Amino acid sequence: MIAYIARRIAFLVPTWLGVTLLAFFLSTFAGGDPARNYFLRTRGRQPSPRELVIVRERFDLDKPLPERYLTWLGGAVRGDLGDSFSTGRPVTQELLRRFPATLELAAAGTVVAVVLAIPVGVLAALRRNSILDQLTRGGAMFGASIPPFWLALLLIILFSVQLQLLPSAGRGGLDHLILPALALGLGEAAIIARLTRSSLLEILREDYVMTARAKGISERRVIARHALRNALGPVVTEIGLVFGYLLGQAAIVEIIFVWPGVGRLAVEAIGQRDYNMIQGFVVFAGTVYILISLAVDLVYLWLDPRVTLVRQARPAAS
Amino acid sequence: MSDPATTLVTDSADRLQTPAALVPKRSLLRQLVRDRTALAGLIIIVVMVGAALAAPWIAPHDPNEQDVLNRYATPSLENPLGTDNLGRDELSRLLHGARISLLTTLAVGVAILTIGIAVGTIAGFGGGFIDGLLMRLVDVLLALPVLLLGLAVTGMLGPGLLHLAIGVTAVAWVEYARLMRGLVLAVRERPFVESARALGLPGRRIAVRHVLPNIISPVIVVGTLRTGQLLLTLSALSFLGLGVQPPTAEWGAMLSEGQNYLASAPQLMIYPGAAITIAALGFNLLGDGLRDVLDPTLR
Amino acid sequence: MRQHGGFGAPVLLAGLAVLLIASACGGDEDEAARTDPSGPQTLIIGAREDGYTTEGNEADVGQYPLNANIFEGLVRMDANYEVQPALATEWEFKPPNAWTFTLREGVQFHDGTPFDAEAVKYTFDRVAKTGGGTPGFGKDSTKIIDDYTVEITPVFENRRLIEQLVHPSYSIIAPDSNPGDEPIGTGPFKFVDYSEQEQIVVERNDQYWGEKPTLEKITFRFLPEPNARRLALEAGEVDLIVDVPREAVADLEAKGFAIVQSDVGAYDALYLNISGEKGYTLLQDPAVRHAIGYAIDRDALVEGLFEGLAGPEQTMIPSRLLGEQNAAEIDGYAYDPQQAEQLLEDAGWTEGADGVREKDGRRLELELINGFPSAQAHGAVPEFLQDQLGEVGIEVKIVKMPDTASYEERLASGEGDIWIEQGSQNDANPVFLPALLFWTEGLFGDIGYQPLFAPGGETDRLIIDALANPDSEETKALTAQAMSELVDEEAIVLPMAGIFRIDAMSEEVGGYEPQPSALQVRYDGAFLARD
Repeated sequence: MIAYIARRIAFLVPTWLGVTLLAFFLSTFAGGDPARNYFLRTRGRQPSPRELVIVRERFDLDKPLPERYLTWLGGAVRGDLGDSFSTGRPVTQELLRRFPATLELAAAGTVVAVVLAIPVGVLAALRRNSILDQLTRGGAMFGASIPPFWLALLLIILFSVQLQLLPSAGRGGLDHLILPALALGLGEAAIIARLTRSSLLEILREDYVMTARAKGISERRVIARHALRNALGPVVTEIGLVFGYLLGQAAIVEIIFVWPGVGRLAVEAIGQRDYNMIQGFVVFAGTVYILISLAVDLVYLWLDPRVTLVRQARPAAS
Repeated sequence: MSDPATTLVTDSADRLQTPAALVPKRSLLRQLVRDRTALAGLIIIVVMVGAALAAPWIAPHDPNEQDVLNRYATPSLENPLGTDNLGRDELSRLLHGARISLLTTLAVGVAILTIGIAVGTIAGFGGGFIDGLLMRLVDVLLALPVLLLGLAVTGMLGPGLLHLAIGVTAVAWVEYARLMRGLVLAVRERPFVESARALGLPGRRIAVRHVLPNIISPVIVVGTLRTGQLLLTLSALSFLGLGVQPPTAEWGAMLSEGQNYLASAPQLMIYPGAAITIAALGFNLLGDGLRDVLDPTLR
Repeated sequence: MRQHGGFGAPVLLAGLAVLLIASACGGDEDEAARTDPSGPQTLIIGAREDGYTTEGNEADVGQYPLNANIFEGLVRMDANYEVQPALATEWEFKPPNAWTFTLREGVQFHDGTPFDAEAVKYTFDRVAKTGGGTPGFGKDSTKIIDDYTVEITPVFENRRLIEQLVHPSYSIIAPDSNPGDEPIGTGPFKFVDYSEQEQIVVERNDQYWGEKPTLEKITFRFLPEPNARRLALEAGEVDLIVDVPREAVADLEAKGFAIVQSDVGAYDALYLNISGEKGYTLLQDPAVRHAIGYAIDRDALVEGLFEGLAGPEQTMIPSRLLGEQNAAEIDGYAYDPQQAEQLLEDAGWTEGADGVREKDGRRLELELINGFPSAQAHGAVPEFLQDQLGEVGIEVKIVKMPDTASYEERLASGEGDIWIEQGSQNDANPVFLPALLFWTEGLFGDIGYQPLFAPGGETDRLIIDALANPDSEETKALTAQAMSELVDEEAIVLPMAGIFRIDAMSEEVGGYEPQPSALQVRYDGAFLARD
């Protein structure tokens, strides 16, 4: 078990390095002149040739590519991702400043998804093929098809423009959080509901459930004690993955709701060709995701140790 | 992201006993048609793709023809869905938009499946160094959500439909590569493969003629299931301004333009969004149906 | 030229009153009649995006682009583009190139520091450190003669200094202070708090030397999206919003909000690249440029894209500033697509198979660069132009830049044929824009526009004359002639509409005056009537 965990963590290092390479590589794609860009943004005018040289030196732009990568990587390992070409401020600082807002959004979206989905999924499984079940499956199908950005705009039209109940932009109190969380969470609710349902259905057919029933234990107890707990295994890990997924989807919702999160920062940086910010963001996001997937794996491990052994036997996709 | 689809794939790999294990193609289609959800999905897709292909002939107007003094018109015989902020016919724009949105989605879908299957097969059969290298690459790309990576790559390349397609293709193939590799690895140890090898058949021949046809189907199912999501991702990037440039009509771009008139003319935003939803729904229903046909116990 | 200022509060008050009445008669529409302030006097304004710089000597929190009334300059500009005294009561130009200012006495900064020549020198020396600005401050330009007298000698000959000093970037800050840390000015409101990208809050300055404001507190909320501003107003989250999207105007009026509009103070114009560099040679032919001028239906533009809420002027510089007679010098272009097509035919551009004109095997394809001040600011105008020019056989490809800096970068590289810009007249110097953009030498030197758009010749002569002329009336006339060169003769500049500001507010707000230049808006006359 410990060996497995250690192996997993060891594997992460080359992956992380790969992410940094990818991030750095991306910026070689783009055109434009980051030094001139920086000057224009912070001073509001074109630089003179001398000023341009000074800016280039400041950002190490005059050094060869491999050297720049290594310098940057050295900094990245220590948490220093360089300075933004748009504002001149440290990238890490900007990212950390805005990350809590994205976390808030992803967490709220996950809560919405879970609170809506699990009860519905459970009920649908229990009352299989009933009207509720049909509706759930239909609704879930629909929810997975709606573009989150469209949903966000529809919610704004309904709740902000027509009913004037909720604000349409900005981060503030709970009322500012509701619409973005709904826009993010409803789509995922669909998926979680289906997963809960199918997972529970599968468990309910399992042998040990049959055994429990045969022993005469009441149906309710069967469900509560045996079925649910085991069915929740994959669901819990799914929630972890959903949270990670939402962190990615949040970018669009952040733009629509003018939410001060990292996703919006990244999109703006891409438009502004702020290479350091884009690189830093990719590394930052990559790190977060790697940690999340590690956490999910560990949780799954804790919930169901059988899986590891089975996995080790099968050289299948892990 | 794991879901019943992935389980299906690994289960299928286990269940393979003989080379011709899977249901022959013809009765697959018939089974599909008998399943109601799949049928609904198939109909939706056929209608939409058909409309998209026929757009230049069935659209009532030129999608770019402006009539500024007739903007925001209400639906009429002349303009069945009204006009937009520049007086262009909304229905014509939706139809032409379908061409771009749907056909791009299909093209990219095919591309990523092909690349993913190829890479996965090479990794699965190549083993050792090649496998390690490719899978490392896959891990790295999987470490980030497709939307953000696609955004970064496309953003770097610049706006334009081709860049959008390339950007998303470059990052979205990884899931299929991993799936395919897993399947290949699972099947490699099977008796019929062993015997083929014992017979002295070259590796590539084993791969292409014996192994591939059997395990490709689950991957294609996943591909279909994911097409809806692919459409949503492409539309999202288009919505952010990457992709087609004005005046070209495309659903994501139309949605983005419509955003400006959110409060005064919401219909400009509702129509393209509805179109995307219905198309994605069609793909999801079809994919679901395919999966049900292959493994009814999950219904 | 000698100017007399007021002698303190009573005259200033009278001046304000006159101005208020004058601008009320000047055409503000739908200002609801509110008489007396009542209820809590805290105003919340939905402002545009936060554009403050917070670092270094360029820091301008509270000054620019949002003038939060914390600071004041030596002079200011009224709604008629006239220069009025503010912290300076008198000024005199001493040839060849020196300006003497008599400073207002009895004024204090918000932290109690007295306002005197020290503060003026500190402020302008700071401007010199970042390049000197449009007036041309050098490190020795500002001399203290005595406590209340200052002499300014710009680094180049500058007759227009006084008109330029109205810009809030030259407002006076307290000695040794930095707006990036804490904005300390002399204005009717003093700084309370600033949260980047969120809001800036100011409160009444009870020690103000002029008439004390009625409002106790103003919160400016940064809401970059026009729709978000509109929704915030409707939801009651803010009391007043600036720059209302035009399609929202009718709706807001119907809902009982007051809509006020200023005089024309901004423009929407096309600049045509005549440099011939990097393959962009198509616009070197004047026939093509003039054809573009005739091909645009400006009435349809104003009606369809501005909901009728813009002026059809083609002067670029507000006619209020130039003077009506001078403005008439600039003819502009009538909508005449036949004329456009004729010009193109005569120049050898024949219609090809797909409707796009060709000549010597080359298609008439032009790149239009959209992004100043932002792509959103232009809305659907580029697409409209694309269509219009398409009608006469010109194909336009629209290139969207994500923001100003990217646009400027592209401009520096010179890659584009048509450049669409929206700009405003932010000081009282009529020849500022032509000198900045279309004069070969350039007011700031070569800022990227000169190689692409400056024709030289007569235009240069007129601009140089206008800059150096001691008589501001002459300057206006010469400027109008220069614009006529650029628009009518050369067809390098094609103005499309004159834009005025539209703001909206709840019925409870009173005493608010939108200005043609947003930088000059004052809130000391504003009040709330919440009953």
